[in-house]
Amino acid sequence: MKTLFLGSVLLALNSPVFAALRIVTTTEDLAALAREVGGKHVKVESIAKGYQDPHFVDAKPSYLLKLKRADLFIQVGLELESSWAPNLLRSARNKGIRPGARGFLDASTGCDVLDKNITADRSQGDVHPEGNPHYWLDPANGRIIAENIAGRLSELDPDHAGDYRSNLAVFETRLKKKAAEWGELTQAFKGSKVVTNHNSWPNFAKTFHLNVIDFVEPKPGIPASPSHIKNLINRIRREKITLIFMEPYFDEKLPKKIASDTGAKLLILPPSVGAVKDIKTYFDLFDHNLNLLSGALGGKR
Amino acid sequence: MRRIFAAIITICSLTVVSIAQESSTPKSKNKFNPEVSVIGWVQAETGRRNPASVTAEEPAFSFKEAELSLQSNVDAYGRAEVFIGFDEEGNVELEEGYLDWTSFPYGLAAKVGKFKSNFGKFNRTHVPETDFADRPLVAEQFFGDGGLGGAGVSLSWQIPNPWIFAELTSEITNTPEAAEVPAFGKAYKRDLLYVNRLSGYQDLSESLNVTLGASHAYGSAGQEFPGVSFSSRTLHSQLGGIDLTLRWKNPRKAIYRSAFWQTEALWSKREAADASHIGSWGMFSHFQYQFARRWKAGVRYDYTQLPTNGIMHEAGGLAYLTFTPSEFSLISLQGRRVRRFDGNKETLGWLKITFNIGPHGSHPF
Repeated sequence: MKTLFLGSVLLALNSPVFAALRIVTTTEDLAALAREVGGKHVKVESIAKGYQDPHFVDAKPSYLLKLKRADLFIQVGLELESSWAPNLLRSARNKGIRPGARGFLDASTGCDVLDKNITADRSQGDVHPEGNPHYWLDPANGRIIAENIAGRLSELDPDHAGDYRSNLAVFETRLKKKAAEWGELTQAFKGSKVVTNHNSWPNFAKTFHLNVIDFVEPKPGIPASPSHIKNLINRIRREKITLIFMEPYFDEKLPKKIASDTGAKLLILPPSVGAVKDIKTYFDLFDHNLNLLSGALGGKR
Repeated sequence: MRRIFAAIITICSLTVVSIAQESSTPKSKNKFNPEVSVIGWVQAETGRRNPASVTAEEPAFSFKEAELSLQSNVDAYGRAEVFIGFDEEGNVELEEGYLDWTSFPYGLAAKVGKFKSNFGKFNRTHVPETDFADRPLVAEQFFGDGGLGGAGVSLSWQIPNPWIFAELTSEITNTPEAAEVPAFGKAYKRDLLYVNRLSGYQDLSESLNVTLGASHAYGSAGQEFPGVSFSSRTLHSQLGGIDLTLRWKNPRKAIYRSAFWQTEALWSKREAADASHIGSWGMFSHFQYQFARRWKAGVRYDYTQLPTNGIMHEAGGLAYLTFTPSEFSLISLQGRRVRRFDGNKETLGWLKITFNIGPHGSHPF
């Protein structure tokens, strides 16, 4: 019986499933893109879940077990994961995925990154000196990330480079088609003024022509003071803002109070794949959010 | 005075090198400079310390420490980390300084330099970074103010298995002086201290995880001079410890609520001059609950016997309320009541304030 069990384990270890490249990403968005490009040749896991704030993830030792076996590590970069990823990479005892190695990929390479060159000073809150790291919320950047991943997979696994290229082409074609649909959907609320809780949406707002006029947080990571709340409420009333939106991992209490005081709607908008059950792919993320926005801002559904 | 002068010269040299690089070479070369950060620890104390306390009376206000840390990759194989502590009286101490090689095969890593011993979990945390204004009584009585540590080598192995994260660490360092670390005490300059630790980590659910560790330390604890032989004999001490840490944090609202419970206990068996052995033990248990984004409260229970006396003991408790304006500063109000080994009671209150300047480093788990 024992021999049979060992035999099955050995057989399983030699099966094609185990020959797949192991990819570990920091976020579910990168994992979703890696799955699009890698297809059947990759096994992808994300450290942060879509419903988690990717700035604040505990560097749990259980993640080291995943990283130790990984062939490729992909991060958002721009210091989004600086409080946890460097420690994990140092402790994983896998030199193949450390910065500089072929198995390390910073997905931000070549992407349109906003809020660069701001004053890198802690008095400005928890700022990211190299730019706003929520750049995946622009589908054009999604395409660049997918290209980056396809390029790196082809280097690591040249035998399947053709498959990665064709998967990328399929993804790009579908993205182009979806981008046209999304553009049409957002025409109805083009130029709408909105308030967001945290500065997570500059790329999304730029792409879909939303005008973010203010934030519930006065500075990134800094809770609002009474005077900021008062000024924000006055501004929302004065400029007739009808929508406040926020990420699911922040406390709703204050945005809800501001919304109720001003008559604006409060919308929970997931910034990542996996944040809610029906967002399983990169396309689902934009479908879900743009439909919600369209409903809230009075456009067509 | 010489130490202060040397420290000032060192810092000035670093600054001059940095400025020189900035002004005369391309900016990219600055990328080779180490990451520099400073943790400042300011504290106010009220209450009367027991004269028999191992720690001396403190002034009402003190700048306890400025801890300068320098960290950088050395080359493709290793990374160096240096931590230097400065206090307001001008004392400068190399708290840790080591080269870490983590690129060895078979899940092995090595460290060489001066470092805090991997005995339990609390011992490795730098004092300004702990949740407390003081140290647990057992840490104070057995390991002194600075904790167990010294110059030496360390080898660690992540034990390969598909189920849990498990790590075995073996360290050999110089034995500290008894005045610094009462649990041990070098008899000869080259006396060595051996520390081993086996720890395991497991996720119990998405929100709950557990770390369990067992530690052992063996080293010299002074010497005896038998009257008839005119020779000396080194006495030894060994410590065994266990630690259990449970953490709870809902990842969906990770920045608002969390709980943490850590208990550490150690047992000591120490050779005495009359060929007998002294057995003693101590423990602390710490529970912390974060009840809002910037607020947490905690309590700690302490019990300890003395390393040189297994009959007398001390016990007490600490409670605190901490406000963290941001990730980079904290303000903590703390109170501790202790019954010292001589029967006297000691009640102390503290206001602990820390700040952190420099790049956003990774948080240890």
